[in-house]
Amino acid sequence: MFRLKLTRKSQCKTALNPGRFAALVLSGLLMTSFLAGCATPPPLSDTAGTQAYDEQNDPIEPTNRFFYAVNDKIDHYAFKPIAEGYVDITTIGIRNHVGNFVTNIAEPGRIVYFMFGGKSRDAGTSLVRFVVNSTVGIGGIFDPATSLGYPETDTDFGLTLAEWGVPAGPYLYLPVFGPSGARDAFSLPAEFFLTPIEPAPTSLALRAFSYSETALHLVNTRAQYIQPIDQIEATALDPYATFRSLYRQERASQLQLIDQRNVLTPPDWYPQPLQK
Amino acid sequence: MHFRRFVLGAFASLPILVAAPLASAQVSPDAAKAFITQSGLQLVAIVNGNASQSQRADQLRQLVDQIVAVDQVGDYVLGRYRNVVTADQHRQYLALFHQLLSYNITYQIQAYQGVSFTVNSASTMGNDTIVDTTITRPGQSPADVGWAVDEVNGGPKIVDVIVAGTSLRITERNDYASVVTSNGGQISALLTAMQNQIDRIKSNE
Repeated sequence: MFRLKLTRKSQCKTALNPGRFAALVLSGLLMTSFLAGCATPPPLSDTAGTQAYDEQNDPIEPTNRFFYAVNDKIDHYAFKPIAEGYVDITTIGIRNHVGNFVTNIAEPGRIVYFMFGGKSRDAGTSLVRFVVNSTVGIGGIFDPATSLGYPETDTDFGLTLAEWGVPAGPYLYLPVFGPSGARDAFSLPAEFFLTPIEPAPTSLALRAFSYSETALHLVNTRAQYIQPIDQIEATALDPYATFRSLYRQERASQLQLIDQRNVLTPPDWYPQPLQK
Repeated sequence: MHFRRFVLGAFASLPILVAAPLASAQVSPDAAKAFITQSGLQLVAIVNGNASQSQRADQLRQLVDQIVAVDQVGDYVLGRYRNVVTADQHRQYLALFHQLLSYNITYQIQAYQGVSFTVNSASTMGNDTIVDTTITRPGQSPADVGWAVDEVNGGPKIVDVIVAGTSLRITERNDYASVVTSNGGQISALLTAMQNQIDRIKSNE
C-alpha cells in the first residue's frame, strides 16, 4: 500500500497506545507465521537464476506478495481516494507546510538515532533544525533551517543498525507497514517510542492532537506519491519487484547521504580524521 | 627481445583497439551539460507544444531514440540473462524494449504539461557523467533528477535517470529479472510479459 518513504515515515508513527501497538505487531507476526510461504530457489545448475534469487534476497516472497496484495487493496479503496480528495482541496503550499510540520516532530528521534550511530555532525544538524524550525519556523510549519544550511537528513533505527554493521537481511513486506527488511523492521518499535507525543502524560487534547497529526501525516505523504505510484503500477511488469528494488536503493542512498553529510570539523590542533 | 614483446603486445591489444570505438566512453562534464540542456529544451518544447497528444507522443518517441542509448540500456536491463538469451530472442527483446520505453515515457506527457527544468551541475561517477537538474511542474514540488550520460557510438547519450538515489535502469533490471525468475528462468516469459504490457497500454490509448 504505502511504499518507500511513505511506509517508514508515516505508517510507523501510528498513534496507538503501547498495548494496541504490541497487539498489532503480534497479530502481524502471527499472521506472517501462519501464512508463511517460502520462495522456491532455482536449481544450482541455473547459474543466472541462482544469482538473481540470491540478489533478490526475498526467501518468503509468496508471503510478502500476499501482504502486498492486501495492502494494495486497502490503498486502492481507502488511502488513495482520500489522498486524491485532499489534493483537490489543498494547494502545494499547504501540503509543503504540513510536510515540514510532521518532519519537525520527528526530528528529536533523528537526534537520538544519529547519536547512537556515532554521527555527531548529523545529530547537531538535527538539533539545530528542531530548535530553529520549532521557534523561527513557528512550530515547524516553515523550514528556515534548510535556508540557513541545515537541510533535512532522514534516518531511523534501521539505518542506525546499518551504521553498526548489521546487514539488511531478507526483504519483508509487512502487513499495514509495507516494505521493510529483517533489520529495518526494528525501526517500528523504536520510532513509536521516540515520537515526542508518546512519552508525554496522557490527556484527551494530546490524544486528539496525536491522532490528527498521524492522520494528516498519512494523507499528506500519500498525496505526494499519487503520481509516482500510479506510474509504477501502470508501467512495471512486476510492480511488487519494482517497489522492492526502489525500497532497497532508497535505503542505500539514505545511508550514503548520512555519511556524506556527517563531515567532522575538529579544531586545527586536534588530529584530523581521514577523509572518506 | 624488447621488439618481440612489443609486437606480441601490439597484436594482443588489437582486438581491444578495434572494439574500443564500439564501447561507451566518458563524456566531459561540460559536454554532458550541453547535451542535457539541448535535449531538455527539445523535450520541453514537445511536451508543452500545441500538437495533439498522439502527435506529441510520436515526436517524443523519435526524440527518445535520438537521445537515449536504448539498446545499451536494454542490454543492461537484461543483465545476466544476456548470456543465456538466443540471438532471435535478443532481437525480439530489443524491439519490445524500444516500444515499452517509448510508451512508458509518453505515458507521462499529460502529467508533465507545463514542465520546466534547470541544469545545475555535472560530475563524473564511474564510467558515467551525471548531470543534475531540477524539474519543476505546476502544482508539484521541484524534483532533483540526475541524468547519466555516456558516449555511445561517437555521441553523448542518456543511459540512466536517477531520482532520489534510485536508478531507473537498476529498477528495470530488477523488475525484469523478477519476471524471469518467477517463470523458471524462461526468457520467453519475459518477452510475453513485455508484449502483454504493450498490448495493455495500446488498448488504453
